[in-house]
Amino acid sequence: MGKTTGFLEYERQDGFVRKEADRVGDFREFHEQLSQADRQKQAARCMNCGIPFCQAGVMIAGMASGCPLHNLVPEWNDLVYRGRMAEAYRRLTITHSFPEFTSRVCPALCEAACTCGLHDAPVATKENEKSVIEYAYANDLVHEDSPEVRTGKKVAVVGSGPSGLAAAQLLNRRGHEVTVYERSDRVGGLLRYGIPNMKLDKLLIDRRIRLMEEAGVRFITGADVGNTVSAEDLKKEYDAVILCCGASNPRDIKAPGRDAGGIRFAVNFLSEVTKRLLDSDFEDVPTDLAKGRDVIVIGGGDTGNDCVGTCIRLGAKSVTQLEMMPEPPASRLPSNPWPQWPRILKVDYGQDEAIWKFGSDPRVYQTTVKEFIKDKKGDLKEVVLVSLKPVRDEKTGRMNMVPEEGTERRVPAGLVLIAAGFLGSEQYVTDAFGVERDGRTNVKTDAGKHLTSIPGIYTAGDMHRGQSLVVWAIAEGRSVAKEVDEHLMGYTNL
Amino acid sequence: MSRVGGITLADIAEAQDRQHSRAFDPLGLPADLELTATGRHKSRSQGENHRYDPQTIHLLQASTREGNYEKFKEYTQLVDARKTGYLRSLLEFAPTGKTVPISEVESEESIVTRFKTGAMSYGSISEEAHQTLAVAMNRLHGKSNSGEGGESEERILSAGTDDDRSSAIKQVASGRFGVTSRYLVSAREIQIKMAQGAKPGEGGHLPGKKVYPWIAKTRHSTPGVSLISPPPHHDIYSIEDLAQLIYDLKCANKDARISVKLVSEAGVGTVAAGVAKAGAGVILISGYDGGTGAAPLSSIHNAGLPWELGLAETHQTLVANGLRNRVVIETDGKLMSGKDVAIAAILGAEEFGFATAPLITMGCVMMRACQSDTCPMGVATQDPELRKRFAGKPEYVENFMLFIARQLREIMSSLGVRTVSELVGRTDLLRVREDLTEQEKKIDLSRILTDAHQDRITHDKKHLYDFRLSKTKDEAVLLKSKTIRTAIEQGGKAEGHVQLGSIDRTFGTLLGAEITRKHPQGLPEDSITIHCTGSGGQSFGAFIPAGLTLRLEGDSNDYFGKGLSGGKLIVSAPENATYDPGENIIIGNVALYGATSGKAFIAGVAGERFAIRNSGVTAVVEGVGEHGCEYMTGGTVVILGPTGKNLAAGMSGGVVYVLDEDNRLYRNLNKQLVSMEAVEHKADLDELRSILTEYAAATGSKKAKKILDDFDGYIPHFKKIIPVDYKEILQLIARSEEMGADPETAKIEAFRAFVGGKQ
Repeated sequence: MGKTTGFLEYERQDGFVRKEADRVGDFREFHEQLSQADRQKQAARCMNCGIPFCQAGVMIAGMASGCPLHNLVPEWNDLVYRGRMAEAYRRLTITHSFPEFTSRVCPALCEAACTCGLHDAPVATKENEKSVIEYAYANDLVHEDSPEVRTGKKVAVVGSGPSGLAAAQLLNRRGHEVTVYERSDRVGGLLRYGIPNMKLDKLLIDRRIRLMEEAGVRFITGADVGNTVSAEDLKKEYDAVILCCGASNPRDIKAPGRDAGGIRFAVNFLSEVTKRLLDSDFEDVPTDLAKGRDVIVIGGGDTGNDCVGTCIRLGAKSVTQLEMMPEPPASRLPSNPWPQWPRILKVDYGQDEAIWKFGSDPRVYQTTVKEFIKDKKGDLKEVVLVSLKPVRDEKTGRMNMVPEEGTERRVPAGLVLIAAGFLGSEQYVTDAFGVERDGRTNVKTDAGKHLTSIPGIYTAGDMHRGQSLVVWAIAEGRSVAKEVDEHLMGYTNL
Repeated sequence: MSRVGGITLADIAEAQDRQHSRAFDPLGLPADLELTATGRHKSRSQGENHRYDPQTIHLLQASTREGNYEKFKEYTQLVDARKTGYLRSLLEFAPTGKTVPISEVESEESIVTRFKTGAMSYGSISEEAHQTLAVAMNRLHGKSNSGEGGESEERILSAGTDDDRSSAIKQVASGRFGVTSRYLVSAREIQIKMAQGAKPGEGGHLPGKKVYPWIAKTRHSTPGVSLISPPPHHDIYSIEDLAQLIYDLKCANKDARISVKLVSEAGVGTVAAGVAKAGAGVILISGYDGGTGAAPLSSIHNAGLPWELGLAETHQTLVANGLRNRVVIETDGKLMSGKDVAIAAILGAEEFGFATAPLITMGCVMMRACQSDTCPMGVATQDPELRKRFAGKPEYVENFMLFIARQLREIMSSLGVRTVSELVGRTDLLRVREDLTEQEKKIDLSRILTDAHQDRITHDKKHLYDFRLSKTKDEAVLLKSKTIRTAIEQGGKAEGHVQLGSIDRTFGTLLGAEITRKHPQGLPEDSITIHCTGSGGQSFGAFIPAGLTLRLEGDSNDYFGKGLSGGKLIVSAPENATYDPGENIIIGNVALYGATSGKAFIAGVAGERFAIRNSGVTAVVEGVGEHGCEYMTGGTVVILGPTGKNLAAGMSGGVVYVLDEDNRLYRNLNKQLVSMEAVEHKADLDELRSILTEYAAATGSKKAKKILDDFDGYIPHFKKIIPVDYKEILQLIARSEEMGADPETAKIEAFRAFVGGKQ
């Protein structure tokens, strides 16, 4: 299987990326695909390991290592290498619901755990996955058949993010009648509004939703369950309800002046940008949100990076990204060996664009906002930054980042975007259903299960496990589908 | 036949039904018909559980690198978790309530002397990996195992130094690769591999692309040419034959323990009893789940049995027959934790082998690519580029062994046992777990847990087998001779005269070993000559080194010249013989098996399987039985008469000249690997003539004289047998040398061209 010497013969090659100067002028995707021949070489690098760490999806040193979906990576890499793309697609969909999403937005746990990456660059599994799913779409292989036999069971899925969509897909395939409720105006959850269009083209979501609708899944948008739609009605009408509402309660920054105008949560900001683009068919570029302003992004994660890229496209005067933790090393430390998740410095697209535009990496480490300074109208004018230093907590032994006296400095700020993560589920939904929550405000279930404290009510995705990755959400959605199917039918074949 | 019970027909039917329902949904609902992965060989998250998985590999590597015992315990917790279908997973300890303080338990340093690493050859694993294992085990006073690939002179020389890279255990397997007098004399233990746990009854195969020039050198073979270890030892067809080999090896190095590696299978207890009676000091019972990463898949998955079964049976049988104290019992096969080792001890083992786990500490991540020379960790590869990636250190292996010992001590302390010897056979300290599934409860472990004997019996040095070597003619006559002793000590010439009978087995070997001890490279040709008359016993002249010549006037039994290591053997019929030696067998079967260098001149016909696995000897004989020169990898054999069927089967190196006067050779030749050609090149003609001249002078053979008298007339009747691949690589080497490359470079260039051409 595979080309046994491929990893020695070929170097890793990533797909072409549109130049910054070109891509910051629009919100289109900027990753392009390799030729079929080059793609096959990339797949030939897969070593077909005896123990494929790439697909393990297990906890190693407290972090996930390998794909949570347990994608059969070596098998479809081999098929890509041999040019047998249709078979590769079938192997891929044994474990995966929506490869078109993860192959664009996933941080690729598979590649971080790739054995080839121990001595060399890992196999380009994420782009290989993209080539498989895009081949399948282009060649009309992606179908969602309307089941011939219907069970007569009705399932409501609340929330149309990746976990809700995955659950709906599988349960519909099993012949259950599935209705998906979405509070916003468009389906997709964070896929739709949390991730900018240049990273995940929204047409890809539409393409998938159309297939699911044709197969019988019903989508109701603008339906805010627990608010405009009654939880009690859902309980009555459906044989099972699955709550997939995400962990959309954002973490705030508590500093004086927080009530100033011009301080926004990152996801709200990104949502507005995407919504206005979609509503106007990309005619109305909402430059008014950032143009000419000094933007401070609080949070060094993926969402923070998305804010950087978005603000550059909207014509920000400057972009600064604050990260509380110290700058990670350029390569793995001895204490962080393969196959652990690499805690190393990575430069994502937004930072690349900032470097291109402003000449330096927008990130400032070990720094946070101490105070927001308002102008006379109550709008944000400046922020006071302060440096942080690690101090060991004598009681817990944990490192805390504490402000360092005398390092305060004022910088101009016209817009602050808070991308500091999420705290957990929205209380109005859990209250409406009366389901119990755990200490982290996630919905409580037995370990490895999805049934909540209320019979017939299940949960999955970020709402269940807390803020996480799209790939975890899909895994959760597939897993809850099995549990619900078994509950409804007495057995499951999923 | 299962000796532990197990699933019923109803269970099998239920499993089938489950599969069926998966594809044909009982309610006619849609089902995904794409087959999922089973993960039987290469693991898959959705398939079978494997005891080595990303978590256990990571924890084992991290804990042994960091020397972190707490992390090591996290690893053993995972591997001991009941999920992988081992018999031992169904067992737990049954403490008696009596404990002993840990300070009173046998020390880690003492326990690790009972530990060994597995027999992985230099060739299958890289020099770096092989040496790292040896260094680690030598530092711990445990033992590493050479495997069957020989050992380089440079490593043998390092024995006893601070940087001791020599393997304490030297293995003798069916291929006899590199098994020389020097190799055997350097051993602390000599292991006869009867079988491998993962593939009982099968031989080995080192693919040509892994036979790099340096591998070929220690194996006395040709670069690029695949090496086959035949399934059987050609000198073992019965338990008596095995006893003979044990005796031969004891003579080849009387200071070494002789170990016999058996595999767990039904009836192994009976075999082990025979082995104990035959004089082995150690019996290894190897389980099915360890063993080579490169065995055929059908064997890895379907052959062999767990060591729990074979070990318990062996221990019980030996105890019942009063043989247990004669031998040490050793076991191996996925021993991964202190618990595994404790259970092995309780079931009868006193020494313990580890292979995969030490490899993992050195970087192995179970690629399962051992056979393809592409191991990305530099462990199981000979590729110089990949070997640079090897990141193992002896300390990691030492940490593993010490951690296992530490864990074993903790278990012993909790069970109230002070030494490993006291733990052996204490099946009262084990019980079947209570929290088993219905399926697992059907397994009947009572035969394993039978208490063999109330008395605790383990190996006792007092009861070691007595080979009575002092009664041999070697010790009683030859080594008593002052002139011979002087010749060994100070050089010079010596002669001796001995009358032999068939009871004089393995004649010359003890003397040969003395020569090798003093002179690792042997003595000048014909330094010591022993004139024998009568009938040589089995294994006449086995393993004798250069400088020793045995002249026998008479005849000799089977295994003549076994493992010949540079010495010279001359046999001729007595002058007054009433038979024609050219038409009568004067040496028995399996002569020169595994011979590596030297000369053998036999003025008569040899029995079957002549010169099997010869890798360097020049031999002349006047006729051979069936299967002559099978698996030969080097050397030159001249046959001046008829051959039996199947000549040169599996022959991958060396040259055979046959005088084929009645043109019957082509019917008897196995043509799979060799070609038959006329003898016409000047180099060949010169070689043949010079060999025959020496032969005629040594034996006075009338036939040889006749041929030499009309050499040109006889030449058209000679045929040259040469393996096709061997010939090609010799030509490539010659071409490189002509281009100006030195001999070593020429070999490497030829190897690359040859292997490259094959791909």
